[in-house]
This record gives sequence, C-alpha cells and structure tokens, in this order.
Amino acid sequence: MKNRMSPMKKILLYTFLSVGVVVSVFPFYWMFVGATNPSGEIFNIPPNFLPGTHGWENFKNLNENIGIIRVMGNSLFITISFTALSTLICTAAGYAFAKFRFKGRNQIFFMLLVAIMIPYHVTLIPLFEIFSVVNWLNTFQAVILPQLSYPFAIFLMRQNMQSIPDSLLEAARVDGAGEFHIFFRIVLPVMRPALAAVAIFLFMFQWNNFIWPLVVLQSQEMYTFPVALSSLVGMSRIDYGQVMMGTTLSTLPIMIFFLLLQKQFISGILGGSVKE
Amino acid sequence: MKSLLKSFAIMGFVLLVLAACSGNGGSESDSAGGESENGEPSGEITVWGWNVAAQSMEMAVEGFQEQYPDVEVTVEDIGRLDVYEKLTVGLASGGNGLPDVVLVESDRLANYQEQFPDALTNLSEMGYDDHADKFGEYKRSVTQDSEGDFFAAPWDIGPTGVFYRTDIFEEAGVNPDDIETWSDYVEAGKTIKDQTGTDMVPIDIAADDALYRIMLNQQGAYYFDEEGNIDVNSEESKKAFEVIEQLNNEDLVLNNDGWNGVVSATVNGEVATVPFGVWYSGTIMDQAPDQSGDWGVFKVPAFEEGGNRAANLGGSDLVIPSATDNKEGAYAFVEYFTTNVEPQMKALEELGMFPSLSATYEEDYFSRESEYFSGQQVWQLFAEQVADIPVANYTSDYSRAFDTMADAQSKILLNNAEIDQALQEAADKLESETDRSAN
Repeated sequence: MKNRMSPMKKILLYTFLSVGVVVSVFPFYWMFVGATNPSGEIFNIPPNFLPGTHGWENFKNLNENIGIIRVMGNSLFITISFTALSTLICTAAGYAFAKFRFKGRNQIFFMLLVAIMIPYHVTLIPLFEIFSVVNWLNTFQAVILPQLSYPFAIFLMRQNMQSIPDSLLEAARVDGAGEFHIFFRIVLPVMRPALAAVAIFLFMFQWNNFIWPLVVLQSQEMYTFPVALSSLVGMSRIDYGQVMMGTTLSTLPIMIFFLLLQKQFISGILGGSVKE
Repeated sequence: MKSLLKSFAIMGFVLLVLAACSGNGGSESDSAGGESENGEPSGEITVWGWNVAAQSMEMAVEGFQEQYPDVEVTVEDIGRLDVYEKLTVGLASGGNGLPDVVLVESDRLANYQEQFPDALTNLSEMGYDDHADKFGEYKRSVTQDSEGDFFAAPWDIGPTGVFYRTDIFEEAGVNPDDIETWSDYVEAGKTIKDQTGTDMVPIDIAADDALYRIMLNQQGAYYFDEEGNIDVNSEESKKAFEVIEQLNNEDLVLNNDGWNGVVSATVNGEVATVPFGVWYSGTIMDQAPDQSGDWGVFKVPAFEEGGNRAANLGGSDLVIPSATDNKEGAYAFVEYFTTNVEPQMKALEELGMFPSLSATYEEDYFSRESEYFSGQQVWQLFAEQVADIPVANYTSDYSRAFDTMADAQSKILLNNAEIDQALQEAADKLESETDRSAN
C-alpha cells in the first residue's frame, strides 16, 4: 500500500538509480581493468573496457617492487590494533565526558574541540622529535600511538553517550555493579551502532593515513599501503598496471570491513536521529 | 568481575604485541661507521632516492663494493615528493632519522641549502673539488654555494629536446630539420593542424610551466636573476610567453590535466610534438612500446636564427646530511657514483638516466643510433647541448615562483590576460611573499 507507484514513475526511478550505480561503480571497474592490463594500455583510444590477462604479471612485479604481501600485513596489523585500542580509549573518554561530573570537564572538552582544528602538519615535527628521542623511529608503535585518542571519535562517542538515560546507570549502581562492569556490560552493548561507526571511521583513517607513517617509517619492509604505493609514483616513469593493481588491493580491506559492519553503521547514522 | 579481567587481559596482550614489534625497527642510525683499521671507509650507509634513480644507485652498489668492500649500502626507493617531505622533517628536527645520502632535484637544492645552512656536508672539504672540471658550468653552478664549495655532487642532467611523431610530420609534409626558430615551430604547427588535425604541443596549463622554463633557461634567464632578484617580468620572460600565447591563439595547444594527461596525449597521438627533458624518452618508450620508429627528436628551436638551442629541465644531485655518523662511507659512495663512468653508463643504458659527467660522452654508446627514435643518434643530440646550457639561479623560493608562474600561465592562456600585466602581477606577488625585490 505504501509503494504503489505508477509504472512510468518506476521506470524513471530505476533509470535514475541505474545511472547512479554506473557512475559510482565504474571507477572501480576501470581500476580493475587497469590492474589487469599492461601499463600504457589504459591510455589507448578507443579505450579498452575489458579486463586483460596481465593481472598476475602486474601482481608479481608489484610484489617484487614493494613487497606487497608484506605491506598488506603491515597495514593490517597497524590498522587493526589501532582500531581496537583507539575505539576502546575514545569510547571510554566519550563516556566520561557524557556521564561523569568532575572539575574542569567542560574546559577539557572545549580544548578537545579546539584540538580537532589543529592541522596535522603542525604536530608533525614535534611528534617526530619525541619519537626520535625515545628511539622509536621506524617502529609500528610509532605509527599506532600518536592518534590513539582521536578527538573527533571522542566527540562522536560523547554525543551518542548522552542518549543513555542516567536512570539506567543509577539502577545498575544501586544493584551494586562496579563502574567497569557498568561500562563494559551495560554501556557498550547499547552503544553498538555508534561503536561500529567509530570503528569504521578509525579504520579508514589509519588505513589511509599517509603523512605520519611516511615520515616515521624508514625502511621498506615497514611500509604501509599508502606509503608503498606512493613510492611507485616516482618521477616520469610510472608503471600504471602496477599502480592500479596496488590500489585495487588496497581498497579491498576497506570494502570488506565496511561490508562486515555495514548493518551497524547504517543504524548508527539513524541512531542519532531517534531519541526516546 | 570475570569479564573485567578478561578485557584487561586483552588490552595487556595488545600492548605486549606492540612492544614486541619495536624490535623490528631501528635498522637506521646504528650504522656505527667510519674507518676500519686500514683507514678505508667501513660500516653501513643508507641512501634515499626515487624510482629509476634509486634503481640506478642500486645497480652501482656492486661496483662500489669492489672498491670499498667494508661499506654496506642500503638503497631505499621512496616517492620523489615523499623524499622531500621526509628530508624537510628530518632537517627541521636537527637531522634526526635522516639517511647518509639523499637524492635531491637540482632545482630544489638551493631551498635546502639556504633554509638549513650547515645541515648538508661540505663536499669540497672532503676533496670533491678535484672533480670540479669533470662537469659542465650549469651543473657546477647548481651544486656549489656562493663560496664555490660543493654542497651536492652533480649526477643526472636534463638537456631538452622536442620529441616529435615522424609519421605525423611526414603526413603533413613538414621537415623537422627546417624548424630552427620558435616562429618556424609555430608555422609547422599550423601546417600540421591543417593537414592532420593534430595539435602541436600538450601543456598542463594550470599546473606546469615546463615549456616556459625551457624557454627561459635557453635564453639565459630564469625566475630569478644571478643576484636572486625576481626576474619574471624580464624581456626574455615576455618573449617566451609571446610564443606560448601565439601557439595557444592558433589553437595548437592541447590543455592537459596533470602529468597523466600529458602522457596520455603523447601516447595517443593527440599531439605531434612534446618539448621536454631527455628523461621523457624513457616515459615514451615505456608507455608506447609499439610506436617504435614513429618518434624522433630535434633540439629546442631558438628565439632568433642561430640562437642558443640548449636548455635544461630536471636533473638531480646527491647530498650528505651533516648528521650522518658515517661521513667517510657516504662520501666514498657519492664520489664513486658521480665521478666514475661505469655506473653512469649502466644507469643510462638500462634506465635512461642521463649523466652530467663529461667523460661519459666519449663512450661509443652516445654515437649509437636508437631504433626506437627512427635510427637517430639521440644521445649525441642531448650530450652536445650540455656544455651550452646556460646557468640558472633557482634560489630557495623556486617552488613559490613555480606556482605563481603556473597561475600567470593560466591567466594568459585561459583568461586572455595581457602578458605584460600578468607578469607584472606575478612579480608583485612574489615580491610580497618573499624578501626579494623585483627587477
């Protein structure tokens, strides 16, 4: 009864949606075509729209060139441990800002908001000096640690936490639950949509993080995806087949991660708009 | 309570893993080096470079170790702009985390040398002056400071040429040997457009002024004069833009978006010529292997009959950060790599990196005919120019000037601004952004 559209409207709607799908999917398809063809082929006119047979060759060259399997491992390790730790820290901080009263809370929160506005580049050199003093240059923890408490993620969690009714927490306290118990057993389960949203956000941030890993990682076997891919685009000589293969591989984990958390993510976006 | 313990255990585990992987790092900086007992350099050195340049150095390691068996060399292949990012951060924090040798493009050298004085090793003090007469004047001028001391070792150089499609020229009935001046070039462009419909030259109008820089350098001018004053409104600069504007007015310019756009236009036969540095030959051969025999090169046209047809675009040199703890090892590598014929010829033959070491030009390879470039002696054509390339003063404000002139170029070509006015505005802008005065 809701969706009784006239066939005309339906046709229009589907045409419109199809165009949208083509427009958004085509770049990925084109990337795949580039990845399976020899370099230079993607410049041909008329363009070649079919996947080629050069994919394995490109992959082999890429692995020889930048050790793509190793790079994939580095990126996954860094991103997953960062996402897990950072989600936990930011959620806890957001919870504290939303539900605890302590001296200076608003001032600290204000400073946090200001921190969102500091450009990344400003902190680059001081951070670099800190890590070189403790002799942690060229280590994974140097990539993982600096942004663990991510201001925007804390902000997001705080806003979401405010929707938890105080009465719920008080009831738990009356029943004798400790603060950690409340946080892990009561707060986190209701926050699942928000957690998924923050996790996806942090995952994407770290997966694509470029400038800091570039500066702090020094040997090729430590490189992450963006840094390794960037080294392919050296000067005038670019093997586009390898570049396309590399970008194809680097988008896969994000797609998979997004698909896994998609359901939560979408309800997370809606979550904010529905209040009790 | 159990679950609480569990979550702590997980957190603790993750932290442990983090701490464990710190063992992986630190391959840098512990290269305790210097001289071994017999007084020869020893230890480890790390070298930063990009792409084919890094590969060239990689290939040189074997020969180097025949002479210096005690020095271990690691070459890191890093993106070109990424090298600058890392170098800037490292120099700004007092040399932390820098390698022992870094490749830097010639036009960026002055920037580091002026911004971080004493951060680069004075190579003259280590004896590089002995090699001074092995390089042309242009290359010496970019690697020496105002006192005439080397702060960088000259390596590859980018003599320019106009790459052209022999088949398109033939179809239009244009003889490339007849193109001696830029007005001949424009005329040839008109004929080609009439006969074949092909544009003459690709320009990334909004982002790159390569053709303009070739024309400036060829006339002995640049963004700045030899005193470092802003010189973008010079007569030479006006003449250069007059030619480019004329090309544009005759509809001979193909406006491209970015580097990939230029490559794409080149490979697809959308343009009949591409004026660039010698290194572009490698790009063409890589991306259009099936066009062998369809390409040729002629020297950049002169501004007046019999005028200078030599210019430079690109090229790079090696520096040794002062913070290195193995100066001897680093110097040994730099000296070996830049002053010996053998590693240079290998880099040229296999990767197309064009050497600036004059002694290499005596090699047979330079008189060889290139099959790809229609049997032309292309390397000869580029090598001949090297002695005549005029000196250019890039200064520490090179990249600022580069951006400003790309803007000026788009104003002139896309918004039909008057050349005089656009150049004056560019000069004023540079004057307010730098502490230099305009001529």
